[in-house]
Amino acid sequence: MRISTNMIFDAGVSSINQQTAATLKLYQQLSTGRRIVTPADDPVGAAQALQAQQSKDINTQFATNLDNANSALGLEDTQLSTLNDVLGRIQQLTVQAGNSTLTKTDRSAIAVELRARFSDLVGIANATDGTGQYLFSGYKGSTQPFSGSVDGLLAAAANDISYLGDDGQRTLAVSPSTQLAISDSGTDVFMRVAAGNGYFTTDYAGGNTGSGTISTGTVTDPVAWSNYANKPLTVSFSVVAGVTNYTVTDSAATVVATGAYVPDQAITPAGLGISFTLSGTPALTDTFTVAASSSQSVFRTLADLIGTLESTTTGTAANAKYQVDIANALVNLGQANDNIRRVRAAVGSRFSEATSLQSLNGDLDLQYAQTLSTLQDLDYAKAISDLTKKQTQLEAAQKSFSAVSKLSLFNYI
Amino acid sequence: MSTLSIGITGLNAAMVGLTTTSHNIANQSTPGYNRQVIVQASNFPVQTGAGFLGQGTNVETVKRVYDQFLSKQVLSAQTSTSEMDSYLQQINQINSILADSTSGLSPALTGFFDGVQTVAANPSSIPSRQSMLSAAQSLTVRFQALNQRMSEIRDGVNSQITSEVASISNLASQIADINQRIIIAGAGNQTQQPNDLLDQRDQMIADLNKEVRVTTVNQSDGTISVFFGSGQPLVVGADSFSLNAVAATDDPERMIVVMQAPGGTTVQVPESQVTGGTLGGLLSFRSESLDPAQNSLGRVAIALAQTVNNQHRLGQDLTGALGGDFFSVSGPRAYANSLNTSGASIAAGFSATAAADLTTSDYALAYTAANTFVLTRLSDNTSWTGTGATPAAALADLMTPAKAGGQGLTLTLTGAPNVGESFKIEPTRAGAGSIAVAVSDARNIAAAAPMRTAAPLANTGTGKISAGSVNGPAPPNANLQQTVTITFNNPPTTFNVNGVGTGNPANVPYTAGANITYNGWTMQISGSPAAGDVFTVSTNTSGVADNRNAVALAALQTANTMVGGTASYQAAYSQLVSEVGNKTRQVQSVGQAQQALADAAVAEQQKTSGVNLDEEAANLLRYQQAYQASAKVIDISAKLFDTLLTLGQ
Repeated sequence: MRISTNMIFDAGVSSINQQTAATLKLYQQLSTGRRIVTPADDPVGAAQALQAQQSKDINTQFATNLDNANSALGLEDTQLSTLNDVLGRIQQLTVQAGNSTLTKTDRSAIAVELRARFSDLVGIANATDGTGQYLFSGYKGSTQPFSGSVDGLLAAAANDISYLGDDGQRTLAVSPSTQLAISDSGTDVFMRVAAGNGYFTTDYAGGNTGSGTISTGTVTDPVAWSNYANKPLTVSFSVVAGVTNYTVTDSAATVVATGAYVPDQAITPAGLGISFTLSGTPALTDTFTVAASSSQSVFRTLADLIGTLESTTTGTAANAKYQVDIANALVNLGQANDNIRRVRAAVGSRFSEATSLQSLNGDLDLQYAQTLSTLQDLDYAKAISDLTKKQTQLEAAQKSFSAVSKLSLFNYI
Repeated sequence: MSTLSIGITGLNAAMVGLTTTSHNIANQSTPGYNRQVIVQASNFPVQTGAGFLGQGTNVETVKRVYDQFLSKQVLSAQTSTSEMDSYLQQINQINSILADSTSGLSPALTGFFDGVQTVAANPSSIPSRQSMLSAAQSLTVRFQALNQRMSEIRDGVNSQITSEVASISNLASQIADINQRIIIAGAGNQTQQPNDLLDQRDQMIADLNKEVRVTTVNQSDGTISVFFGSGQPLVVGADSFSLNAVAATDDPERMIVVMQAPGGTTVQVPESQVTGGTLGGLLSFRSESLDPAQNSLGRVAIALAQTVNNQHRLGQDLTGALGGDFFSVSGPRAYANSLNTSGASIAAGFSATAAADLTTSDYALAYTAANTFVLTRLSDNTSWTGTGATPAAALADLMTPAKAGGQGLTLTLTGAPNVGESFKIEPTRAGAGSIAVAVSDARNIAAAAPMRTAAPLANTGTGKISAGSVNGPAPPNANLQQTVTITFNNPPTTFNVNGVGTGNPANVPYTAGANITYNGWTMQISGSPAAGDVFTVSTNTSGVADNRNAVALAALQTANTMVGGTASYQAAYSQLVSEVGNKTRQVQSVGQAQQALADAAVAEQQKTSGVNLDEEAANLLRYQQAYQASAKVIDISAKLFDTLLTLGQ
């Protein structure tokens, strides 16, 4: 076969070029640690790696959000725990106040402490997080949610603490499909507390003169009571043939229960699903009311209690009213405490959701990292062995070129 | 006497052999050189009584060892190789900028949404908001930088086309010159060829062929005519035609090739006919890879801007105002063909669903007949025809959903076009270069929803109202922030709605958990509300800690908002990366295959026509010895003559 001298040189240069290019490619892979140096190396893998990288980044963001959620929930839980303690102390003082041997001075002393606890409550309700945002103001993070004082509330029965926040519940995205609530509005924590036993409240008329008292009552059939339209009920008394009778009438003046008055005997209006007890000796003109429960803020409950303790009126009727008020305060505080526990339980379940999501998040992170690694990381052992092979080939090409190019007949003539 | 003359013929022939061999050695590395050999024959013998007496030798011709078939193969392989080379050189630039895990679009896109999440976590924090703004700035800068790089590549392609075209014209005129010289050299005389001129011409044709694929036709006068494309002449005999690069009539940013006819008129050469060579590679790179890549990047920018803006405008910022546009991006480019005479213009915009509908193609709009518009999608030549009573009505008909309405575009006509006029629309080309952040004050990020829900404490039932959300698309309902009251009737199976904008419907049936939608918001009431219970929806005054809209913005990161609702931003970008990667890989492997073919063809041609120095060394010795021997013959012949002379002494 005829060979031209140019061919010898061209072929030598071209093969050395090819080997050098392949060596450079391996060098790039080794120095970056990536199998895919440019998308052309593996177009599908490169696109998949971008997607996997985004999934991993989003997952990392969710991990940050989970940390934020945990810290927000932790802050709220701390406040709720303190609130729980304060309410416990208030309940303790209330029980103490129910002791009939207390003197007026003793009651005032309790009232003084309760006023301090009222400030504590307002303080907790207006708590802020690390960035100065109010915890319990709903969406209105920069608005102080609660303002009011004991005296302001005592000025009129209709007064309640002002809530300037809203019902908004702040959330954080913690997984592609989960929004985790990280706050509770002040309304839910402090205000939306059912008064009385949760279904109805009992009270005396202001003008009562006898020693009669009314219990806080119990519900036997919540649905029946809830469905009964003509609330509230009024209990009045009359004497027929020398016997004191009680009559329970509804708001439509229909008599729902009547009978001879026996102290401490439960009165159960038929079909209404409730039961309550009258005690003591009511005057004939005295009346009691049983009304549907409505929301009463923990502040109103506490202010009422302070009002009762600071009351200066004395006498049989006043004593009877005092007993009813204390009993109502206790049951209302119980409701408030239940509500706080409900909120704390919700916070706790969110905590555990966040924890389980965090562990899922960690697992996912590992998986994405593995996917990414499979897609784009270099098999070092193979690459290094390839590099050695290429080096050998390159050296062989260089040596053989140098040997072949020296061959010439001109060397011999 | 005859011995002397025979010796002289041998001496001469050996001298020509030595000259030719020296010429071969000297041109051993000359590009396009074909080795030359002498054709030697014995002289016509003289008849004598003793038979035919030889009369020495003569060199009939010096011929080049040239195989037309092999040369054509080399030409054909080389034009493809240089096409792939120029394509690869260009696409490698895009391939490498998209690849980098730190400089591609992906990290900036992720960074932006991390910023949105930061705001969602701390909606009232100014530093958080500022970080989202900064991340958005980085994202737009990244878009612009990538686009800038592609524009530079486009400028590079344009200027290369200009210089390629100049060099093609130059080569064509040189070939015409050399044709002229070959005619003068008398190549019509078939026995004596001007070998080196022919080699030079072949080399020029090979050079020309590396710029653009040409075909050649040998003429009887020894000239070669050169044609390219679908038979457009470049060289005919001693005449050449010149090519020019000018801006396309339908797109001032696009250089195209036009042919200068002898009369001075110019004819546009369709891009599809300019194939092969560096020029062909440049043109196909531009239309197959650069245009789609830049459009694709622009489409991501436009979809991002449109969807983020739509969501952002449904929100409320820190000052209590409704959100405005978050990003700004320029609309589609629409060019009137410069040959249009009517002065009519087309204004193009994006439709409300452009994010999902836009393609990466460019479009041609032609006014083909009176009151008839035809829109053609250039990527696949799908076309739609709109007709109507007026040109404007025809355009409106064209853009109805049943026709071209689903392309994400809106087109508006100004003026009255003449039949035959055309327009070019590039919907997404300018997207990535023009995206910018429209919000400058961190407080103007709309992280909150403009409405909130509430249930008064007086409610006695267990009904709960959800936080509610604002319905898209932007702009939000004008009555969005009006206070709306929902009051449950007795029995609480229906409710009455009261508020501006709701129409105050009464006795609406209540289904727990069902969507309740008025005034552009949607919320749900669940549980068992009691008769008389009230729920309200009102404006979100001071709702600085509300992150509902920020959460909705963050959700856009993975929402399939693009490509007909099948791809997220990242997926659409990945598609671009994968397309460029695939094309690069394809060009690389085709280029390697072509290179191997070209190498094989050159090797084959060199086997026949290349100079082998060993062979020439042997020839040198051969002709040297022949020369010496012939000289000896002359010497002997002189001695013989001398012998005769001495006889007389």
